[in-house]
Amino acid sequence: MAEQWIYWFEELGSEHNDLVGKKCANLGELTRLGLRVPPGFAVSVDGYEKFMAKTGAGDEIRRYVQSRRDLLKQVDQQVEAGREIRGIIESKKMPSEMEEEIHRRYEVLCERAGMPDVPVAVRSSGAVSMPGQMETFLNVKGNNDVTEKVIQVWGSAFTTRAIAFRVEKGMEMDKTPIGVAVLKMVNAKCAGVVLTVLPTTGDMSKIIVEGNWGLGESVVSGEMTPDQFIVDKECGEFECTVSTKKKMVCRHTSGTRVVQVPQDMQCRPCLESEELQEIARIAKHTESHFNLPQDMEWVIDEDLGFPENVLWVQARPAKYSKKENEAEYLAELMSRIFKM
Amino acid sequence: MKVYDVVPGLEFDPEHDLAQSPAWFLDGTHSVPPWTPMFGWFWINFCRHGMQYGAQQLSLPTVKGWDWRFMNGGGYLTLLLVKSEEEKQRREARFKKAILPFIQDYDGLWNGFVKEILGQYEALKSLDLDKGTNYELLQNFEDTINTCRRMWEIHMYMMYGTYTAYILFENMCRELAGIDDTSPVFHSVVSGFDNKVFQVDRRLWEFSKRAEAEGLSTVFTKNEAPDIRGRLEESDKGKAFMKDFTAFMNEDGWRMQRMSEINLPTWVEDPTPALGMVKHFTTKGGSFNLDDERHKLSRNREAAEKEVLAKVPVEQRGWFEQLMRLAQKSGIFSEEHDHYLDLYTHAMIRRSALGLGRRFVQAGSLDHHEDIFFLIPEEIRRAGLAPDQFDLRYIVERRKADWQEWQKKPNPPAILREGFDLDQAMGVLVQSNDPIALKVVVGAMPQVRPELKADLYGTCGSPGVAEGTARVILNEDELHLVQENDILVAATTSPSWTPVFSMIKGVVVDRGASLSHAAIVGREYGIPVVMNVFEGTAKVKSGQRIKIDANMGTVYILDK
Repeated sequence: MAEQWIYWFEELGSEHNDLVGKKCANLGELTRLGLRVPPGFAVSVDGYEKFMAKTGAGDEIRRYVQSRRDLLKQVDQQVEAGREIRGIIESKKMPSEMEEEIHRRYEVLCERAGMPDVPVAVRSSGAVSMPGQMETFLNVKGNNDVTEKVIQVWGSAFTTRAIAFRVEKGMEMDKTPIGVAVLKMVNAKCAGVVLTVLPTTGDMSKIIVEGNWGLGESVVSGEMTPDQFIVDKECGEFECTVSTKKKMVCRHTSGTRVVQVPQDMQCRPCLESEELQEIARIAKHTESHFNLPQDMEWVIDEDLGFPENVLWVQARPAKYSKKENEAEYLAELMSRIFKM
Repeated sequence: MKVYDVVPGLEFDPEHDLAQSPAWFLDGTHSVPPWTPMFGWFWINFCRHGMQYGAQQLSLPTVKGWDWRFMNGGGYLTLLLVKSEEEKQRREARFKKAILPFIQDYDGLWNGFVKEILGQYEALKSLDLDKGTNYELLQNFEDTINTCRRMWEIHMYMMYGTYTAYILFENMCRELAGIDDTSPVFHSVVSGFDNKVFQVDRRLWEFSKRAEAEGLSTVFTKNEAPDIRGRLEESDKGKAFMKDFTAFMNEDGWRMQRMSEINLPTWVEDPTPALGMVKHFTTKGGSFNLDDERHKLSRNREAAEKEVLAKVPVEQRGWFEQLMRLAQKSGIFSEEHDHYLDLYTHAMIRRSALGLGRRFVQAGSLDHHEDIFFLIPEEIRRAGLAPDQFDLRYIVERRKADWQEWQKKPNPPAILREGFDLDQAMGVLVQSNDPIALKVVVGAMPQVRPELKADLYGTCGSPGVAEGTARVILNEDELHLVQENDILVAATTSPSWTPVFSMIKGVVVDRGASLSHAAIVGREYGIPVVMNVFEGTAKVKSGQRIKIDANMGTVYILDK
């Protein structure tokens, strides 16, 4: 096991996927690309294993799983097992040397932000895609809360779906390559996603930006109709469809909540033209770096001036309808002209 | 075999052929004036084969290509319709897969075929016909037959696939953007592309510039086209000019003066038509107007593309744009296929046949080498290896007499079963949904709008309005009569007419559709074209002033 189990994003890159999980490695890679990323650190997979070993949680889980290996094929048993394993993990206290290290890092973050108890997001960062491993805690403040949420993220690797997935794939139950990202919350004026391809058509000459006031959760979850901007990659011209944005997600004392958008902001586009152009520019740049259409999450920080206020929290290959499907669709349409 | 069957097995037989199909249409675009027997043999056999091949390869749901018959030098065609609903469905399922190569890699497909066929031409040309043995000459001719057969396979497979995409694009423009194929915006979207035919024209223009720079202009302006070559040979500069010009001809001059016939020299044999075009450019002066025009058209096209795309819902734009790019290939294909396929293959047929003709004259079986065009391959094979043993003159004599008769009396435009009229026959063509029948042969029917008080009503092939002197041209031999700023009135046009488009103000054609030659070239030159007026060549007389409004599809005769 490596000695070091905690890293600043600046120390990471896409090659560290197995070490810290995809999300953290990605944030590191974005930093390396020169994109502005909220400051933060990563707890590596080794950190998780260290925790499991030192606290004895690993042995407990193994014993529990062995005692009911055959039963785990049943769904109700999987639900029960998930609850049980999460219980084991969450009942353990962070070993003191680990706790100290996390606190030390968090305090450096507070210093960098120039405020005590700086609000952070604590996100899971799996090294392999596993359904249900999506736990994210927003607006986490203070040493103790941060440590607690790191443990909860580890526990979230044992949702029912995740267990079913392991059983199906014959994976070890007590091992899970999961990292944790701890990053400064952005005081979000607005946030959203950008895709460097039109997902429904596979049109790569356009960039689509969607955004809403407040945190990006409202856009990512797809529950509200965001503003939509379509930018031409070549000439930079854009079309925008401004929606009536009635609700947004905001930071709350601890965590987040959905609030009403003030009347005068509902029909106003959430992005200024220069912000939109900057988002498109960086998305295009990232796409050409990875040589793949990108699906990225951006945030505009209320407290910073342009262009420092354009921050990035995620970049991954975009899913979109491939040209083959389009070709088949066109072939289908062509066949119809013989029926007229 | 009776010696007077020109296309054995495919001579028009009223009794049985009208029982098979109630309507046979004369291919007026290609077989007026009537074909020589040899050319008719090639066309009827292999154009027919190619269409059925293309329809089968693509598994066109409703049509199995066309059937063709030969009658008195004319080609008559009818459609082979798929009969049962069940078969249509089966073909449709296959069609959806068969059409994919056009969508996925159009350029790769077309360029691959061009390469293949050019390779065959090179192989044919590699034989020195004056030095080869009788066997080699006959083999060269057999290879030419196979090349022609293959050419028509490529031709019709590509044409069916290309025009299917074009028709879908027209339909989708109508459905999604509310723009139909007679709208100027639509025409802007599909024009402004370079192609091989235009590139050849450009080379000719460059030669006119060279003549100017080297002080040879007067040779062109002061002499008639047939004399230019001789005059050039009189000076060193002229000789050097002719040397380069001949090299250019050997590369791009494998084309016929008449699009679908082999009895006139190719540009390689006689560069007079090409030198005539250099003369035209020299007289006219200035820049190559197609370049200026193209620049303008490209910009218009980009604006029009945006306009059309903006009307299409965002989520549909991906495939729509892909379809638009595909439809834009249609115009390029329409022009280029004539160059690489028809014209070049016909030049190869002429070359190979004349080689045999000369050999037959030496052996005494023919009086004149061009008499070979009155023979068909079966008869050529009879004498191919030992021509001194056969006298073919009696066949030539009889066929030549027939051919001369054919020239005197025009073939009927359609042969119909008793009780079947032309409207019904046209209905069958439209119902076939055959992409070539719809886009090249039939076209949209003009709307007669009495409130416009026009003399002729047609459809828009290329938008715009023009007024000028009418010049009625019935065949290529009369093209030199066209003057600067005339409005050309013709039954139809073909690629050998392209150069005159640079000097005229507008075009009126009796028949045509949005992918006919006149429409495509008219759009590239940015001049109005009114199509499908049916009686243009009958009603308009050369020298009359006429006004055409292609946007409205109208023609006005100003001095009646």
